[in-house]
Amino acid sequence: MRWLRFAVLILAVTVLQKGLLARWSSKPDLLIILLVFFSIYCNTSEAIISSFTIGFAADLVGSPMPMGPQMISFGLFGTLLAYLNRVIAIKRMPFQALAIFVTSVLTGFLTHLLAYITGEPIPSNIYIVVLVTSVYSSIVGPFLFLPIAWWMRIKVNRYRR
Amino acid sequence: MLFTWFMLTGLIFLFTPQTLTSKFQLAFVHVFRWPLSIGADLALTAQTRQTLTDAPGRSETQYLNYIASLEETLDQQRRKFAKLYKLYNTYVWEGTDFALADVIPATVGGARNELTISCRKTNGLVKDHFVLGDECIIGTISDVFPQISKARVALVTDPASKIRVKIAGLAGLKYIMKGSGNNSAKVEMVKNEVKVGQNVFALKKPGFLDAPMIVGKVSECKRNQKYPALWDLTVVPACDVGQLEDVAVIIMNPQK
Repeated sequence: MRWLRFAVLILAVTVLQKGLLARWSSKPDLLIILLVFFSIYCNTSEAIISSFTIGFAADLVGSPMPMGPQMISFGLFGTLLAYLNRVIAIKRMPFQALAIFVTSVLTGFLTHLLAYITGEPIPSNIYIVVLVTSVYSSIVGPFLFLPIAWWMRIKVNRYRR
Repeated sequence: MLFTWFMLTGLIFLFTPQTLTSKFQLAFVHVFRWPLSIGADLALTAQTRQTLTDAPGRSETQYLNYIASLEETLDQQRRKFAKLYKLYNTYVWEGTDFALADVIPATVGGARNELTISCRKTNGLVKDHFVLGDECIIGTISDVFPQISKARVALVTDPASKIRVKIAGLAGLKYIMKGSGNNSAKVEMVKNEVKVGQNVFALKKPGFLDAPMIVGKVSECKRNQKYPALWDLTVVPACDVGQLEDVAVIIMNPQK
């Protein structure tokens, strides 16, 4: 794993998510896409580190939500996905899209549940926001895997285990 | 082991008071304010291609750029002056101070609705001060960070926001408007049916707001599911918060 490239990528994507995409009401969650990418294409310990780091980045731009919920939920589901990938290789685009959708839904709900525990209100439109974001992410995500793999110098083989 | 340590870090962040952890979030916005604002500008700018004919020389370009920037700055100062002049000379705002602030990208479409504002004058800014945008109330101050001249505004549509309001056409009745997160707010259990488009006003709040101000318009009126004799209203902000470039914070009874 090239950690410097990883840091630059996370920083750029975080700024993009908070800046360019912030004004759009319906948008893909680029950090979830990165989470699934690193869980699929890295070894387990790298996946754990990258999941929690991406979660921390999501928390940094997750204001007004408190810090912590996204770090925990991203870390938890990123780690689970990494272990799952050791049993069922998620290499083909439809499976990757499905993995992004499921991970996005689960992290979305766990994040808001954890925020609720700390006293944050749960918005009434939470189901729609989480589902729409998950759908957008799962559509866009698999197409972003190739440029991310190129930047991270990771070899991607979509059709072989 | 690695997982346990990271999880522990996450839990520490989760249960640390938000007043401390929000400084990390604001520091990030402060450090990356330039790329963040570029991103926001790019989203708003229409993509048009212009062709330049008779391109001027380098030094001439420098002067032209300098003059253009100067003119724009002057124009911006004029606009700010005009805005402040108008506010200071309104009868109801007599003795009130205003802090003009620039808006850093707004998050209005998602689950939470907030603005971060950059304000040179943070003296006198406190939590719950009302914020004006395009001559209407858009929210209240939720956090002030005087060290980096920033403040956070909880918009009226934020789920944490609760404001006392009255609705045009329903004289004497006061209600609580709660943000519902989807760039809209709710007023529940209204006794009469209200026409779509009616104005909703934030009520006077001693020390914070001396006169009722428009806060939004009714966009939907439907019967309450539990009590069909009552009505639930959906209210949308009176201005497009996503397009705001600057706002004014109302400071009642400023310290001289």
